[in-house]
Amino acid sequence: MSNLNAYGGARQGDSFRKKWDIEAYAQKARDREEKLRTDEENEERRHKGQKPQMLPMLENPELLEARKSAINLDKMVGKTQVIQASSAAAGQAGFYCKECDITVKDSLSFLDHINGRKHQHAINRIMKVRSETLEDVVKKLEELRKIKRRQQRIKEGSSDYNFYERVEMLRKAEQEKKRRQKEAKRKHRMAKQTADDEPDEMAAMMGFSSFGSKK
Amino acid sequence: MANRTVGTARLVHGTDPQLLIETTFRQRIYESLYWKDQCFGLTITGVMEKAASLTCIGGCFGASRKPTEFLCLMLKLLQLQPDRQMVDVLIDQEDFKYLRALALLYFRLTEAPVEIYQKLEPLYRDFRKLRVRTEAGSFEIVHMDEFIDTLLHEKETCVVTLPVLTRRMALEDAGQLAPRISPLDNDDDSDCDS
Repeated sequence: MSNLNAYGGARQGDSFRKKWDIEAYAQKARDREEKLRTDEENEERRHKGQKPQMLPMLENPELLEARKSAINLDKMVGKTQVIQASSAAAGQAGFYCKECDITVKDSLSFLDHINGRKHQHAINRIMKVRSETLEDVVKKLEELRKIKRRQQRIKEGSSDYNFYERVEMLRKAEQEKKRRQKEAKRKHRMAKQTADDEPDEMAAMMGFSSFGSKK
Repeated sequence: MANRTVGTARLVHGTDPQLLIETTFRQRIYESLYWKDQCFGLTITGVMEKAASLTCIGGCFGASRKPTEFLCLMLKLLQLQPDRQMVDVLIDQEDFKYLRALALLYFRLTEAPVEIYQKLEPLYRDFRKLRVRTEAGSFEIVHMDEFIDTLLHEKETCVVTLPVLTRRMALEDAGQLAPRISPLDNDDDSDCDS
């Protein structure tokens, strides 16, 4: 286009227009096409009775791990939620899996999905657990023993244990407080002294220390 | 991995170790919430941790044949197949009795008869109480030594059919085992007057 607009003035350019990252969207489109193609292929294979195509290899997969805390399936029971569905699956009622963009209606099926190959692949895990040695077992046993002993101590000697502990803690807290008060007082005194020193300098030089009456 | 035995497992009694639990009960375990939620991705130390907080042993109970956590962990152990040394450590420890019971059942299912007699018989002196979940769903008390006795003499326990154990006499005759000396034999100063 020429650099002049319809009225003969200079074109401002189109910097005000929204810029689209063409490459990113092209990549997205390519991924979607790829997924559709593999889905179709798997569909065909399933009809024929063959296994679905293997998932692509992962770069640096992690080993399978147990969940740290139990999955709370009752989280959304009785709750109302405003849906801002990013996809058709996300808007549906049920258990939504973000990584695979799937909604499952049934809690057990959802767990099956979460524990399944495809989902684990999506979160970069291979379906193998860490193999352990005798040392691991012995160490774990020791840990469990410690926890048990601690729980027993708290349960059995609860009144005694806490009483002496608490007396000790209170005594220490009082000491700390006293010390801090002393420190604060000392600092305050020091600060006051230095503040008194400065006007003396002035007095030595000028003959007066500060403006204002001494009343 | 969820329902497959670990790749390095050796055959036990000629089959996949998981098949030691019958199909019906195995299916019940695979479909249970505890298995799917908490037994997924568990390692041997994970099983130990869960077993340390077990509160009962038992098989499947109730109208819906719900498997106990004990049974789920049992299947998990069969899947993971810990070493003999690891199992020894778990049996020898005294702190966690349900972990000991779990390891004992595992031992009974997987080891040879001579080993079983040699390992289990000394543990008759453990007389701690175990809570058992009956098929009806209520609880009963059993002692650890009764449990060991069941393992040595009964055909099944906690819904698991125990592999056939050669009779002690046969092993003694074959010279593989010394005759059993019960600790009670030396107990001459008994309480009864007769």
